[in-house]
Amino acid sequence: MESFVLVSPGLETRYVSRAALLGRDYRGVNFELLCEQGDEVKAGAAVMRDVRRPEIRFSAPVSGRISRIERGPRRKLISLQIEVDDSQAVAKFEPPDNNDGVSIRNFMLESGAWSSLRTRPFGNIPDPAGKPTAVFVTALDAEPLAPDTRTIIDTYLQEFRAGVTALAGINDAPLYVCHAQDHALEFEDSGRIRCVTFNGGYSAGLPGVHINALCPIGLGGGQVWHIGYQDVIALGHLLLHGKPWLQRIISLGGNAVRNPRSLAVYPGSTIGELLANEVNDGPSQILAGSSVYGRQIAPGSAYLGAGQRQVTVLVVSASDSVDKTAATNNAVIPSEALEKLILPGIFPVPLMRALQLGDAERARELGALELVEEDVMPLSGACVSHSDYASLLRDVLDRLEAAR
Amino acid sequence: MNFLLSNSGNGRQRMLQLQLLALLPVSIAALVNTGYQYLATLAQNSTLSTDDFRGRLARGLGASHESLGLFDMLAAGFAHLAPILALALLVGGFWERIISERRQTPMQPGFILVALLFTLLLPGAAAFGHVVFGMSFAMLVGRGIFGGDGKTFLNPALLGIAIVQVSFPSVADQHPLWSGLAGYAGSDAIAVYHRGGEAALSAIDIDLWSAFVGSTSGTMGTTSILAVLLGAALLMIERLIAWRLLIAQILGLLVFATLFNLLGTGAGASAMPAYWHLLLGSFAFGAVFLACDPVASACTNPGRWIQGFLIAALVVLIRVANPTHPDAVIPALLLASILAPLIDHLVIAWNIRGRARRHV
Repeated sequence: MESFVLVSPGLETRYVSRAALLGRDYRGVNFELLCEQGDEVKAGAAVMRDVRRPEIRFSAPVSGRISRIERGPRRKLISLQIEVDDSQAVAKFEPPDNNDGVSIRNFMLESGAWSSLRTRPFGNIPDPAGKPTAVFVTALDAEPLAPDTRTIIDTYLQEFRAGVTALAGINDAPLYVCHAQDHALEFEDSGRIRCVTFNGGYSAGLPGVHINALCPIGLGGGQVWHIGYQDVIALGHLLLHGKPWLQRIISLGGNAVRNPRSLAVYPGSTIGELLANEVNDGPSQILAGSSVYGRQIAPGSAYLGAGQRQVTVLVVSASDSVDKTAATNNAVIPSEALEKLILPGIFPVPLMRALQLGDAERARELGALELVEEDVMPLSGACVSHSDYASLLRDVLDRLEAAR
Repeated sequence: MNFLLSNSGNGRQRMLQLQLLALLPVSIAALVNTGYQYLATLAQNSTLSTDDFRGRLARGLGASHESLGLFDMLAAGFAHLAPILALALLVGGFWERIISERRQTPMQPGFILVALLFTLLLPGAAAFGHVVFGMSFAMLVGRGIFGGDGKTFLNPALLGIAIVQVSFPSVADQHPLWSGLAGYAGSDAIAVYHRGGEAALSAIDIDLWSAFVGSTSGTMGTTSILAVLLGAALLMIERLIAWRLLIAQILGLLVFATLFNLLGTGAGASAMPAYWHLLLGSFAFGAVFLACDPVASACTNPGRWIQGFLIAALVVLIRVANPTHPDAVIPALLLASILAPLIDHLVIAWNIRGRARRHV
């Protein structure tokens, strides 16, 4: 029996007793369960698939017993929770013999790795037969207190290279590896794989920024795909070793955290256990992601999301919460502070007004297709109206997608 | 009033605090210079009567006509500025109260900013009827019908002062009001330049330095470029106003003034060099505190450049072509502000065309 004890050189590991797959991480997917509550599952084994596209599977992040299947309104899946057991069983996958596009796609679909790809526009899991204009690998993280991308990629360089090479093979589109200036990456297949340097502020690590610079989304109806570096390492791990990479490296940070540092954890770990004995007393808020692009989450029932690389805990002062409820005027004041908080070429104020009005067509024309929730998070923080532009954008994107 | 002191996280209150703080240097300069103008005029012309409301108040506060000390100037300035500001606040608060009761919403403190801006744009001896009329128009037509703070389409104070200037032209260009003394004909510096060029300016003791620090006659808050610069620096550091709009106005003024210098008739304001355009009249004040009102100006960066150049072109054009309205800043700002949504509309249409041309 293969074991999956977390091994990450130089990093503290943190085991938890529960992990989960979250429905909200996979937009537009109608889940069909391949297991039942109480079943024992191996780590990496498929536990769900998409009803509409049954080839797309979702695999268990850990081995254990399915403890709870949480559903919300209209039986929408909220989370599939697994109680970690000691069996440490992992599912095995046979890497493809030949490296043609179809074999790699099938391998990714079978092993569940396909579900970590995302499309832009909309941020969906791409169709298995889809044709992107370009594929983006995000190999840098410029957000405050982010884990050190360079160390992680250098530690798993073999797996990362294997993952990138495989992704370049799944179609004819160019593959951009977006990396930091001080972290040079080179690949032999320089025709298809293009390494591009990004630097600048916190936004330099956003896929939206890379796509906007290299292959901007217009109104033509095409799409590009993107994937994060840890998911590429996971894909490479599957290809090289035939078993899933059952860890993610996250950073714990924020001014309420006693000892900010990076940790190796199970994918989908329960955040409550990760933060046990880590947070100072007093009122605080927990963000999934960084203080700039993070989304506030409820403390009790939260799990690490797909692609999430940070947990930030911030001290909350009493006046902050009072003022948010006291705000009654929702007018946008177009101060200079709002500029540069969004992708280049998009006018923030007209977009914010279109989102507030729910004018999907106007938002589309102003560039909403280039964006997902994380790209507009800073606008919510800077705007005096306290509007939640992330959820407003999601509503608009849902309607635009339904109209296609 | 405790919102003025609370340092809380509410962005809207903080913005208002910053805008009021940015107007503080201008307000102090207005106090000092209004008093100075009043006392200096009296000193030159002892036959003038000081037996009106403001004269009695200034004397009651202890302002002496003989010496020109700082206290005398402050007291005489206070006698002019404070009654107008108090009345403007009263009228503004009255309408805000009525509107908020009608709408059943809490009162929005933005009327304080409207009253202060409106006051600073008036001459020191503006009639109280003008104040009531202008503030009522600003509060109702400029602000109330659009829904209050942040939802206006023109700056309410700009609209109020424009309607006062249109309805009572004496406020803008009949100068007795400016120094507060009946029977004395003061001078609008730009009108003086129009008539006699630079020589006429130096004849009434206006040089570059006095125009910069603001010891010239004019509407109360607009004379001191130094004070305006201090306020502008605060607003720019706090990223409240768009620097592109401000720079575009100044660059535009340089370009268009120089253009008229080269191509114009060489007489009147067409020969006025760009630095005098910048220093005289209310251009600097209007450019920072009225044109750059974030709510009532273009909200796209290319639109900001266009609006800035448009304002500068209109200011220079009206100054050169229409000597009966020597200052020209208020009508130019009003026109450009009305055009701002159209400018944004065109900029956005061009932006959308670019997005439609992309290959993805």
